[in-house]
Amino acid sequence: MAELEGEVVAEIRRILGEELEWKGAVEPAHDLLKDLQLDSLGITVLAVGLENRFRVKLSEEDAVGVLTVADLARLVTQRVVETPGERR
Amino acid sequence: MHSASSPSPSPLVRAVGRALPPHYATQEQLISAFRELWARKHFNLERLEDLHRAVNVSGRFLALPINEYHPLVSFQQRNDAWVRSAVELGEKVVRQALDKAGLTPRDVDHVFFVTVTGLAVPSIEARLANRLGFREDLRRTPIFGLGCVAGAAGVARAVDYLRAWPGHTALVVAVELCSLTLQREDLSIPNIIASGLFGDGAACVVLQGSEAGAPGPRVVASRAVFYPDTERVMGWDIVDSGFKVVLSAKVPQLVRDNVRANVDGFLAAHGLKRSDIRHWVAHTGGPKVLQAFEESLELPRESLARSWASLQEVGNLSSASVLFVLGETMESQEPRPGDWGVMMAMGPGFCAELVLLRW
Repeated sequence: MAELEGEVVAEIRRILGEELEWKGAVEPAHDLLKDLQLDSLGITVLAVGLENRFRVKLSEEDAVGVLTVADLARLVTQRVVETPGERR
Repeated sequence: MHSASSPSPSPLVRAVGRALPPHYATQEQLISAFRELWARKHFNLERLEDLHRAVNVSGRFLALPINEYHPLVSFQQRNDAWVRSAVELGEKVVRQALDKAGLTPRDVDHVFFVTVTGLAVPSIEARLANRLGFREDLRRTPIFGLGCVAGAAGVARAVDYLRAWPGHTALVVAVELCSLTLQREDLSIPNIIASGLFGDGAACVVLQGSEAGAPGPRVVASRAVFYPDTERVMGWDIVDSGFKVVLSAKVPQLVRDNVRANVDGFLAAHGLKRSDIRHWVAHTGGPKVLQAFEESLELPRESLARSWASLQEVGNLSSASVLFVLGETMESQEPRPGDWGVMMAMGPGFCAELVLLRW
C-alpha cells in the first residue's frame, strides 16, 4: 500500500510538472487548491491523468474530504485495491 | 471622448447577417464520434462525456460533413478546407447582411475581416471581392488573432474608421470554422473541452458613418481593456499540425475580478450606470463565463437570455458569437428609441472590448 501510494504521489508530481506547468515542489502535505493552486481545469487534468495511469475511476463523491496530495494518493490507492484485475 | 449627452451623431449598425454551415451534428453525435479517439488514451470516458455535456451546447454546425474530418491530418489539409469553406460562408453572410441593409457590394468602402481559425493570403475579403464585386478602391483590413473578442473589437475598429469617414460604409465580417482547427491527436483535457464547446459560423455587420440617415443603433463609444501578464489564459500554440488550443480555467475568474469595474468605469465616462442599460449583448464564452458576467454585473438571467440560447443552439462561434447575439437583439423588435445597450466580449491577450450602443 505504502509503495503504491508513493507511485501515486510520483504520478501527481509528473502530471503537475509536465501537463500543468507547475514549477514548484509537490509534497504529500501540500493542499491541492491552496499550495498547488489547482483550479477546476487543473483538478480535472490531474484526476484524468491518475485515472489513466492507474485504471480507476474517481467520482465527485470521492472528492469529498480530499484536500492534500496525500489524501488523493490514499484515495487512488484505495480504488486500485478495490478494483479487480491485475496490478498495474 | 464622447459623452452620453453628446449631440454629435455616431456611426450606426445597419444590419447583421448570420450564417451557419450546412452540416449539423448533435452533441451526442459528436460525443459518439469522439469516443473511439478518446479511448486511445483515456480510461474514464464517462468523465469526458460529462465535460462535453456540461458546456450547455446541444449541437454544432460544421463546415464539413462529420465523416470528412478524419482524413484531415496536416495543417495544410485543414487550412485548405478552411479557405474553401470560409469563402463560401463569407459570401453567403455578406450577401445576406447587405440585403438586410438594402445595400450592394459596390456601396462598401471598407471591409474588416476577422478570424482566428484559419490563414489565407490573399485574405478572405480579397477572395470575396472577386466573388461579390466590391469596388476597386475597397479598403481591406484583415485581422487575425484577436480570437473571441474580435467581433466586438472589429465593430469598434470599424466605428473608429467611420468617425474619420462619416459618409462611408464598412463591413465587419467574422468567419470562424473552429471545427477545422481541431487537433484530433491532442487528447489533452483543454482540447477535449474546446472540442465540446466551439462551433462554426459567420456574421457580417453593416456599419455606416454618421451621415447616413438610416435606422439602427448608434455606436456611441467603445473601450478596449488589456489584462497584463495573462498570455497563457487562452490562445493557440502554433504547431506543425495547426492550432493547438491554450485554455485555462482562469477566464471566469478574470471576468469576476475585472468586468464589473471595467463596465462601470466605461459607463461612468458617458454619464451612465448599469441600471441604464436595457440590452446586454454578451459573447457566449461558455456557461461559466456567462455566469460570471451575470454575477459580476448583477444581471438577472433574462438579461443574457440570447447569449445562453445561442450557446445552446450553436456553441461558441468565437468572434462571430457576439455578433449573432447583436443581430438577434436588433431583430427582436424589443429595443426602443433611446434604449442603451452594451456589447461585450473577451479574448486572448487576455483582453476585453466594450461597445456602447444607443437605439
